[in-house]
Amino acid sequence: MSGTNSFLAQPGRRAALPIVVLLLLGFIAPLLAVVGFSFMPPRTFGLWHEPTLENYEKIFTDNTYVSLLWSLGLASATVVLLALICYPVAYGLVRVFGRWSTALTLLFTIPLIVSENIRLYGWVLFFIKGGVLPGTLKALFGVEMGDFLFTPAAVLFGMVYVYLPFMLFPMTLGIAMVPNQMREAARDLGATRWQVFREVELPLSTPGLMIGSLLTFVLAVGAIAEAKVLGGQRIIPITHDIEIAFTYAQNWPLGAALAVLLMLVVSVLVLIVLRRFDLDQILGKR
Amino acid sequence: MFDSNLTRRNFMKTSASVAATLAASQMGPFSRPAFAARDKELNILCWEGYNSAQVLDPFRSSKGATVKAESLTNDPTMINRLRAGEINVWDLINVNNPWARKVMLPEKLIKPLDRAKFEPYFEKMLPQFKPPYKWAMDDSGKELLGMAQRFGPYSFVVNTDKISRATAEDQGWDLFNDPKLAGRFGILESDDWNVFGICCIAGFNPYKPHSAEEVAKFEETAKRVLKNKKVVGDIATMNQALVSGEIDCHLTGGSYSVSPARADGHLNLRGITPKKGPLAGGKGGIAWIEITSVVNNPESSPLAEAFLEYVQDPVVAHTVAFAEGTFNPVTQMGNPECFKLFSKEQLDAIQWDSLEEEMAGSVEYDIVPDYDKLLDIWNAAKKS
Repeated sequence: MSGTNSFLAQPGRRAALPIVVLLLLGFIAPLLAVVGFSFMPPRTFGLWHEPTLENYEKIFTDNTYVSLLWSLGLASATVVLLALICYPVAYGLVRVFGRWSTALTLLFTIPLIVSENIRLYGWVLFFIKGGVLPGTLKALFGVEMGDFLFTPAAVLFGMVYVYLPFMLFPMTLGIAMVPNQMREAARDLGATRWQVFREVELPLSTPGLMIGSLLTFVLAVGAIAEAKVLGGQRIIPITHDIEIAFTYAQNWPLGAALAVLLMLVVSVLVLIVLRRFDLDQILGKR
Repeated sequence: MFDSNLTRRNFMKTSASVAATLAASQMGPFSRPAFAARDKELNILCWEGYNSAQVLDPFRSSKGATVKAESLTNDPTMINRLRAGEINVWDLINVNNPWARKVMLPEKLIKPLDRAKFEPYFEKMLPQFKPPYKWAMDDSGKELLGMAQRFGPYSFVVNTDKISRATAEDQGWDLFNDPKLAGRFGILESDDWNVFGICCIAGFNPYKPHSAEEVAKFEETAKRVLKNKKVVGDIATMNQALVSGEIDCHLTGGSYSVSPARADGHLNLRGITPKKGPLAGGKGGIAWIEITSVVNNPESSPLAEAFLEYVQDPVVAHTVAFAEGTFNPVTQMGNPECFKLFSKEQLDAIQWDSLEEEMAGSVEYDIVPDYDKLLDIWNAAKKS
């Protein structure tokens, strides 16, 4: 009791109590509930059964790993593609486009206010047989477009499209953090344009690249709509497995175990990355 | 050590932190003081349509009540919500025929209706729903468990410009065994119904326990059908793919799924009921009938029964048939006052021309005894 009193003696701790309670209720408790469900017998709906590892055994004995690999693979590919696509765009926004940068930034931002599903269905109409692209190609040039919709490539396209702003904006900030004087000094000392990029701009803008990559990866690994809408379920990501377990299969414990597995895998990967890069340093706190 | 009688709901009552979080996340807008009077409040868990403003607004204004409806697109999820503790949230539940008498009543998730008050409405319904209508009654035939309204045949859909209606009806489920169809068909993402469909394509009745040979046959068929499919998607995707020519047909589906495209003028797209098949009596088609029941909510709203009466009105029943989403026949079409409200285009959209023969050629949707096992195989096959 006295320990509690002394803990609360500091005003800062007392002031932090509401947020601690909020975090416990809103973040920790649901996580604990999910973890608890993952140890309940399959197809039960209570948290008060004898705990079991059956759900985890099932994950490792059936072909769930295929879904996990698809999710991790697509998320990684999305991050790599977005890094390649966004760097020159971000560079342009910071260094090249000048007063047009604001307008271009708005163009990248506006789609975010439209529902992701609606945007993806828009792409379906664009790529579907007789749709905007195949129809135009056929009408103007007599060219029959091959199958693109309902393929893994379409899923990747959708993910790159949806998560582009989440890579672009942190990267833009990262490039903006590179002092112009550093670039000029490098040039004055005889560095080539490539050397300036490789030895000054890229290392100094790495914080933006890292934050963008982390953000994009975490979001992309939980993506489901792209595989459903653009991929026609040609591939099944792990999030789809989780959804099926909680709905048609009536198997909450299996769904919870899959969710815990996904959280663990993503957390480990993120921690590995963060161990190599100091987030505080990246964010400029020290 | 553990009390196996404790349900999640009981657990929520005794565990403050978890309970508060789960209640906040799952009940959301429906959270309320525990013992508040509920005579001006109604919560409906339903398939799409009943949650539309067209259906709910007149009831809201006439009763001065707050009516909230949440729509889901599969029965198991809705039943789960009640099982998992939301029995004290909902007042009405609208699911397909077998669940009321086979699951929800035995589990005390719903309660019987006042038979004298509601059975007269069945007298005005289409002939096959006359009282005592099997799926609206309990096993003993004494208790009325809910009201029937929307229904329809549901097997598969074809583009009749590519595959004639006669060919599809004669070939039936075998159509999907034809290697020539590879890459030309889609699969609607209703996995519970896909289990039925795969059983039928494999040549056996889904609604009975299955032998090891049949389970093996199911797995082989599931893998083959999934390998040959062009796309798996929702109703909008299937209709768009049919209209654009991406696919020539899809399983599973029927007047329910294809009605939006037919209402848009694509009358060449048609739900098909096979003329023969492996179902009881040699039938080839499967049909669904929605039954709306009163949830066994300890603080049930008195508006629950009032709403059930409200949707029996001919004008409201017609609105329900053509509420947003999909369009469907309603049992109240047996009442001339209701039937006359349907235009020719609306009757065409719901395949009224063949509805009677399609329903006669179908068995009514039932619960698959080994559904869990078959669904697991189906889901694993998706990734193979």
